[in-house]
Amino acid sequence: MAPEQKKQPHGPFRFRDDPRLLSALMTAPAVIYIALLVGIPFLLAVFISLSDATTGDPSLDYVGISNFRTVIGDPVFRQSLKNTFIFTFASQALVLVMSKILALALMKEFRGKWLVRFLILLPWTAPIALGTIGWLWMFDSIFSPMDWVLRYVGLLGRPGALLGVNSNLYWLGIPGLAMASVTVVHAWRMLPLATVILLAGLTAIPKDILEAAEVDGAGFRQRLFSIIIPLLLPIMSIAVLFGVVFTFTDMTVVYILTRGGPVQSTQVLASWAFFKGIEGGDLAQGAAIALFLFPVLAGVATLMLRLARRTEVN
Amino acid sequence: MKEKKKEKRAGSGLTRRQFVKVTGLGVAGLSAPHIFIPRQARGAGKTLKILQWSHFVPRYDQEWFDNYTQAWGKENDVQVTVDHISLAEIGARTAAEVAAGDGHDLIEWISPPAQFEPSVLDLTDVNQEAVKRFGRQHPLAVRSSYNPNTKKFYGFCHGWVIDPGDYRKSLWDKAGKADGPETWEDLITYGGKIKKDQGIQLGIGLSQELDSNMAGRALLWSYDSGVQDENENVIINNERTVEAVEFMARLFKESMTPEVFAWAAVSNNQALLAGKASYILNSISAYRSAQKQVPEIAKDVYCVPALKGPRGTRWSSEHVIYSYIIPTYSKSVDTAKKFLLDLVDNYDQAMYFSELYNSPAFFDAAVKGGDRGYPAVKGAKNLRDLHNTWFDDDPFRIEGEAKGKLAVLKDAEKWSANVGHPGPANPAIGEVFATFVVPNMLANAARGMSAQTAVEQAETLIKAIFDKWRKKGVVGGTS
Repeated sequence: MAPEQKKQPHGPFRFRDDPRLLSALMTAPAVIYIALLVGIPFLLAVFISLSDATTGDPSLDYVGISNFRTVIGDPVFRQSLKNTFIFTFASQALVLVMSKILALALMKEFRGKWLVRFLILLPWTAPIALGTIGWLWMFDSIFSPMDWVLRYVGLLGRPGALLGVNSNLYWLGIPGLAMASVTVVHAWRMLPLATVILLAGLTAIPKDILEAAEVDGAGFRQRLFSIIIPLLLPIMSIAVLFGVVFTFTDMTVVYILTRGGPVQSTQVLASWAFFKGIEGGDLAQGAAIALFLFPVLAGVATLMLRLARRTEVN
Repeated sequence: MKEKKKEKRAGSGLTRRQFVKVTGLGVAGLSAPHIFIPRQARGAGKTLKILQWSHFVPRYDQEWFDNYTQAWGKENDVQVTVDHISLAEIGARTAAEVAAGDGHDLIEWISPPAQFEPSVLDLTDVNQEAVKRFGRQHPLAVRSSYNPNTKKFYGFCHGWVIDPGDYRKSLWDKAGKADGPETWEDLITYGGKIKKDQGIQLGIGLSQELDSNMAGRALLWSYDSGVQDENENVIINNERTVEAVEFMARLFKESMTPEVFAWAAVSNNQALLAGKASYILNSISAYRSAQKQVPEIAKDVYCVPALKGPRGTRWSSEHVIYSYIIPTYSKSVDTAKKFLLDLVDNYDQAMYFSELYNSPAFFDAAVKGGDRGYPAVKGAKNLRDLHNTWFDDDPFRIEGEAKGKLAVLKDAEKWSANVGHPGPANPAIGEVFATFVVPNMLANAARGMSAQTAVEQAETLIKAIFDKWRKKGVVGGTS
């Protein structure tokens, strides 16, 4: 019997039998999407930062790295850079701890669990600007409800009160308090996403491992630190990566709550790039400021993805 | 410098627009063939697209401007579209439209849009025609729309807003100054007394926002200093600025609370309405809000003109300066120019429907006859007559309110200045404004920094900004 001759693919659908062509075709939408929405704007930002473009004259006349030199010499930029790191790491530390606690709590069965889950997710589903305006009212210099509660319980606004004799704490008017406020609001906003990610990770941990550990006499702390956290590390890395990237590039919370004040004490790179580049008209310097984010974000992303991969392999 | 730049743009220099066009061509071609349909094919007839802020006084947009533009369009066979946006979005939106090379034909700014000069039409002809038709334009309007270095009108300024002091008469009366403060020092003497005896602070923002920026400038000018001189040289570092900054540190300590470091543009209004401020520096919109929301407070709110400094000088910043620009991409240039001139011709209505918030840039413009949509003012021939009559007897006075409370604003143009005073507005002044250098200088001193150090820090920032824009050829001066 003569060997059956292999049928060569032909016609418009021949790519179906060519794995290389098929894979290229399947990934093409993602590649095009990234190239258009990330690649081109990124390259544009690089070109602008090397030019003398302004909002009124966006032509790209090459000026070398002079914008970067000017930006580095600007004390407000240096303050913003420092603030960006504080804002990012403080809020992410808060998010990490709180999301872990929340995720563990939500693993338990209790009455009204769906309502708690819904409430926890709410900050993520509501528009960030809207939520932050709500917080702006909470931190109001005169009408802050938090101040009202503190006054009511005697912690504020009377002689000898723990938090001072002033009738208000001026949350957004004192540099340290203002930074704490923007950090907490950002953590509040990021918490649902991290919680959901960790919750997904927790549900994926095989129950028999935990049960076996329990049978062997491992207590909660041992199970948490020797089993749960190590197994959650890859997914925690993803949560942290998302959190760091979102926080590093966010200006909404700062812009709405403080506009970088008081005296630039909460200014972050993203908001400073906006004030300098768009409001101030110096597009090139604004782009240079924004691009300072890139090496940090690229470094964080690489680190986190490597960590996640290594943990997965182990 | 300017010519060189233009040459580069016209020649080998790659523009941002070109870059985007080249990189986006393929996608655009693939995804949206309909966008290549010629514009003319979409419909015949003239069009005019206007972008401007949502006016602080809702009646202006709702009862007048939007109806006026439609009526104007009908009369002139033009399809007019008006898009209102928040004032905070104007800068970003204009930048986006300029970069895209498409958008609105007229964009109204409420601060001098000097940084957009290279991308907007020179409106010298409209300004000259307006002067010919309506008489002299107020100098602060000229200085907010004209660049003396390039000899170009980058905008057309039709109006401005007065920025007086608003004070609570009952509180000041008890402190022994019933007619309110006359000098900056009064704010400490009497404002401090009110805070100490009556527990009500005064509110001048030291924050990163609009009103703090204006208040800071009013203080500097009244202390015979400023950011720049009339020739656009940076002059901030001098002993009079130090004196002003020291004053602000004392004022904060004696009469204010840390809330002023956190204020947004609306905060001083809120404080006044809540009965938590004895004096604020704001337009009459704060008072108008009080009339509608807390009439009892409104009846107690009175206005004072700019406060005098230690040598008797007094200046206040305009609160808003209206300036329309026509981007170079506009295809309705003549229509837009006609609209601007007709707007001035109907400015009596702009004044009335803004509840006297808007003041005219052309005081001598004649008042048109017939039914103007407001109670006729007997004997009023021009906008000056209307201005004086209405401020003498406020048509929006509420029941039980004293007459003539706004009369002190009749001569406001004598003590009101543009943002770059005594020089013109320019992109450097704009960037100094947008990055809050002046309020931060004052806030630093109020928070304990020595006045001299605060001024030196501000000077470093301001000089860097001026040097940069000077190199682009759009700012004058040498130092």
